[in-house]
Amino acid sequence: MATDSDSIQHADPDLRPAIDRSLRHPVMFFFTSAAAWLAVALVLGIIASAKSHAPEFMGNIGWLLYGKSQAAHLNTLVYGWGCQAAFGIIIWLMARLSRKECRNPGTILVAGHVWNFAVLFGVIGILSGQGTGVPWMEFPSAVWPVLLISYVFIMVGSVVQFRCKEGGHTYISQWYLLGAIVWFPWVYATSNLLIFTFDGHPLMDAAINSWFKSTFILLFFVPVGVGAAYYLAPKVTGRPVHSYSLAQMGFWALAVIGPWTGMQKLTGAPIPQFLPYVGAAATVLFFIPAVTVAVNILKTVSGHNTTISASPTLRFMIAGIIGLLVLGSIGVCLNFPSSIKYAQFSFAGYGYEILAMYGFFSMCAFATMYFVVPRITRREWLSRRFIRWHFYLSIYGMSTIVICTIGGGLLQGAAQEYWNMPWSDAATRGYAYGWGTTVSWLFILFANIFFLLHLLLMWARLGRRSQHPTLLSKHTSESPHGPEGDIDEIQAANA
Amino acid sequence: MTFRIFSLGLLGTFLWPWLLIIVVPYATMQRIERVEFNEEDDGRTGVYAPARPGRVADGAKVYAANGCYACHTQLIRPTYAGSDVWRDDWAGMKKTESNEETRRETTVYDYDGESFAQIGLTRTGPDLSNIGRRVESYVKGTDTTDEEWFLMHLYNPRGGFKYWSACPSGPQFFDVKKHYGQGNGGGLAVQAPEGYEVLPSDEVRALVSYLISLRKDDTVPYSLNYRADKKRAIEQ
Ligand code: HEC
Repeated sequence: MATDSDSIQHADPDLRPAIDRSLRHPVMFFFTSAAAWLAVALVLGIIASAKSHAPEFMGNIGWLLYGKSQAAHLNTLVYGWGCQAAFGIIIWLMARLSRKECRNPGTILVAGHVWNFAVLFGVIGILSGQGTGVPWMEFPSAVWPVLLISYVFIMVGSVVQFRCKEGGHTYISQWYLLGAIVWFPWVYATSNLLIFTFDGHPLMDAAINSWFKSTFILLFFVPVGVGAAYYLAPKVTGRPVHSYSLAQMGFWALAVIGPWTGMQKLTGAPIPQFLPYVGAAATVLFFIPAVTVAVNILKTVSGHNTTISASPTLRFMIAGIIGLLVLGSIGVCLNFPSSIKYAQFSFAGYGYEILAMYGFFSMCAFATMYFVVPRITRREWLSRRFIRWHFYLSIYGMSTIVICTIGGGLLQGAAQEYWNMPWSDAATRGYAYGWGTTVSWLFILFANIFFLLHLLLMWARLGRRSQHPTLLSKHTSESPHGPEGDIDEIQAANA
Repeated sequence: MTFRIFSLGLLGTFLWPWLLIIVVPYATMQRIERVEFNEEDDGRTGVYAPARPGRVADGAKVYAANGCYACHTQLIRPTYAGSDVWRDDWAGMKKTESNEETRRETTVYDYDGESFAQIGLTRTGPDLSNIGRRVESYVKGTDTTDEEWFLMHLYNPRGGFKYWSACPSGPQFFDVKKHYGQGNGGGLAVQAPEGYEVLPSDEVRALVSYLISLRKDDTVPYSLNYRADKKRAIEQ
């Protein structure tokens, strides 16, 4: 296998820059528009969070009513930022790993524009009172087929590339990314068809909706983030993945466990009784793939302390992987039979979603962007200070949000269960934590304003022209971007 | 791992849960049958079909589009899953001199007439499963009707002593219109600028009609009754 990939490698030394060039426009388009949507999502999140404890904040603007701004916040976060960041990551990584240039950048760009307009239309729909009222699927129901079709056009190139790559070896990241590519449309089409198109029982629609939210996270955002980490960790440190069999085990554990999660949100509802139990058990078991991945990646990078402190990519990636570990652990805490009733209707559910979307996925996405953007624009990042601010504000903001929503959420849930205390106790219990959440969202907004600005400068090709990557510390012995080899070489050299 | 094995693995791991927890339960629940009363248990016969008068479908849309489910739930869980049944007036009314014991858990038929069960995301606000009946008891003995109570609540939830309420006021639900003479009627009893009155929109009327229809005070068939102290008709 080593000789196989070596020969391909030496046959075409110009391939990597050529791939990067072919993907420059689509990938930069997805990254910049994702970052812009992230800023929108954060502003909406701050407004909504403020309203949850100070209801008269912007109280006379009907289209920003809490229910609407909160829905718009989550939908822009998921479809505007999350999906588009994931698309950029997937098409770049799949091209690099399959060693194929992108042949349809035009199609991808057009589909990407369609995606953006659909999201915009959807958000306006929510704010103007046309939302469907189905969590995470609030866009008016005309939007989902458009999103699905543009998704197919964005992804089809990557699948074709994979199918006609030369050489038999498939790297672990590719399994994860292919998984994500297939799972998302399956989950998305199923849920939308059953909820909006077919006429099902209202309760089963609600159950499918919570399955949708959970599988969307665990079978799309998780594999994309993990796939990226499995690429970046060996690449930047120049060391092979710690254990290949652990990596495979982690993947199959996710594939087996992920699809059963979600319905614990309906514990106590009159649906077939096993559904919530299965959902809770599977969400607890998600700890297994999370730990497997985390151990494997952290083992791969351990010992490279200078590189870690110097490389923006590695720092963000490690933060993301720690986020994954926390996500797995919190999934265990919130879904035990004894804790479910406290978590079920408190802010903890929101905390879990935000931890997955920002604490884990977004950190991995930032890591990939810090790695990819200099390569496709052929310019280096401008300011080490911007990167630092982005990192620290994100970390502080995220940790506080997790503490406030999950810790505060459990206290709120406990107050809800004290049935002989007045309801105002339970209702006001969360306000202080609500304040905490609002302020932390502000931190995260600042962090991402730096990031968006930086990215836009890079997009305008105003980055530094230099051979030396932008590092977070001045003196480093190892090259923090790693050797410019293909991932297979690193893998093969140590096999 | 070859691509073939990978694809089969992916298909297998996803297909089973997809069938077992999505497709089959969906089909089963779609064809769920009505429960019938019977003479021995209930002392009467006929099909249990809870009546929900009012603009339920319209109002449910307004409820959904305004995101009330972000803070309000509509689910009374059995006691193993939460203490909802005991919380004052959530699950129905407690037995007093003037009313019967009607507390009960949510049943599959409680969402009739809606296209999506608004289980809700958080309980920042109280559960609304029984809000229609609850408000009826709030306004009992006053000269406000339940519709007026709801409209006043939606116009300004923090009126009265509820300064702590986080329920949003809904300015988009009301038109402030100039009035002539005695007014058009139907204006809200709130302070409006001189010569103006506050008129509820059609949207909010549908919403209120829906909220009024949320109540748990009907008699359910013996087989759907999960109370520990339930009695069969022939035993009484
Ligand atoms: C930010 C969270 C929030 C949102 C969104 C919200 N509410 Fe509330 N709601 C509350 C809180 C907290 C209370 C309890 C305090 C009170 O009675 O005002 C409440 C109380 C209520 C009550 C009175 C319940 C009772 O038992 O007396 C009704 C009715 C109500 N809300 C309806 C609605 C409707 C309809 C919507 C959608 C337009 C809505 N709420 C949206 C938080 C919210």
